[in-house]
Amino acid sequence: MNEPAPVIEINGLGYAYGSADAVHDLSLSVQPGRCYGLFGRNGAGKTTTMKCLLNLLRPRGGRVRMFGLDPAKAEVEVKRRLAYVPDYVAFYPWMTVRETLDYLASFRTHWNRETERDLLDRFRLDAGQRAGALSKGQRTQVALIAAISPEPELLLLDEPTSGLDPIVRREFIETVIGAYQEGNPGKRTILVSTHLISEFEGLIDEFTIMDGGRNVMTLGADAARERFQKIRARFAGAAPEAGFAGALQVRRTGRELELIANGAGAQIMEQLRGLGPESLTSEALTLEEVFVATLRTGSERRLA
Amino acid sequence: MLLQINYKSGKPVYLQVVDQIKAAAASGAVQVGEPLPSIRPLAEELRVNRNTVAKAYTELESQGVIETVPGKGCFLKPNQSPLKKDIRRKLLIEEIDQAVVQAHHLQVPAEEFLELVQERLQAIGELKRSSDQAAKEAL
Repeated sequence: MNEPAPVIEINGLGYAYGSADAVHDLSLSVQPGRCYGLFGRNGAGKTTTMKCLLNLLRPRGGRVRMFGLDPAKAEVEVKRRLAYVPDYVAFYPWMTVRETLDYLASFRTHWNRETERDLLDRFRLDAGQRAGALSKGQRTQVALIAAISPEPELLLLDEPTSGLDPIVRREFIETVIGAYQEGNPGKRTILVSTHLISEFEGLIDEFTIMDGGRNVMTLGADAARERFQKIRARFAGAAPEAGFAGALQVRRTGRELELIANGAGAQIMEQLRGLGPESLTSEALTLEEVFVATLRTGSERRLA
Repeated sequence: MLLQINYKSGKPVYLQVVDQIKAAAASGAVQVGEPLPSIRPLAEELRVNRNTVAKAYTELESQGVIETVPGKGCFLKPNQSPLKKDIRRKLLIEEIDQAVVQAHHLQVPAEEFLELVQERLQAIGELKRSSDQAAKEAL
């Protein structure tokens, strides 16, 4: 079977603010219908990458294709097919919510009024309220309605839930799953950058961890949870000082050992069993733990 | 029927949904002919990708556990696997082998293992009987 053409294709992307490298030789591709996570710390290059996809920044190097098109040459066509929710949302403060949505709808060829009404109800937003009087959470909700109502093929979410309260964050994610994905599941693609990884855990199919503008790791979510394991062993006496091939991290406290394995879980378990532990358990790492383990190991390696 | 996703189990999310619905069917928490939650509300409730739930339902349908009635939703089917008996046995043997291997590593001897199997068969059977009874009385 032929792989469908990717919705987003980034090859060797580079960008620098003055002489400061923000994105360096980044490559990734997002297939239609997938929810793709871009994970990184503040300043990892996530927003810069998103802006290059939107032609808000011109790449210094490499190639970006959206729906197979160059966003610098086919800007209107590309933007027609996507919606973008940035981390900081600004509207004209003197417009009401109703006027804001009508204004944004006027740029679109398609706008689902029913979805718009459902979401206004769901978020308990007053359409007559002025945008300037909305809270940060309500502004994000209006931005989400404006992003979902045109039923775009691609949703770009840049740190969409940072700074929001837990209830609003929950509703945001449920809305993306329900109202957005339901329409045409095979074609509704999402690229979300976040450092609130645990909230998006169930939504993410595949992810890239970025650090210092580089792609540190790209993996499927299920594959990551299968590959990364936390193994704990307790011994009758002091924990053995043995080395463990394939362990990302080893913590030793008195009688206990805790190891993080990347793919070598079975071998490490076997080796530990041979040492006769009192107890031996293993569990998968969540995506957030995978993120922390990957970046922490990376920085230790750089320091060494 | 309440489902719960555990990201620390290392098991693919869609398989967790498949296994939990099968467990709910075996214990009578869902009855034959009873509708399963539709994909969208279940995905929202679990806060997992809609496609993950859709994949789980497709898998359950191909295993003959549920059927989709167009326009009405998904329903639990009478327990009739479309697979031949020897294949069903083979699939079960694979699962049993895993439990046997696990028992060895957890130092559970054979007799105790068999006792545990008896105990679980009884426990799940009882759950099923009481759920079936409750379903009958509700009619």
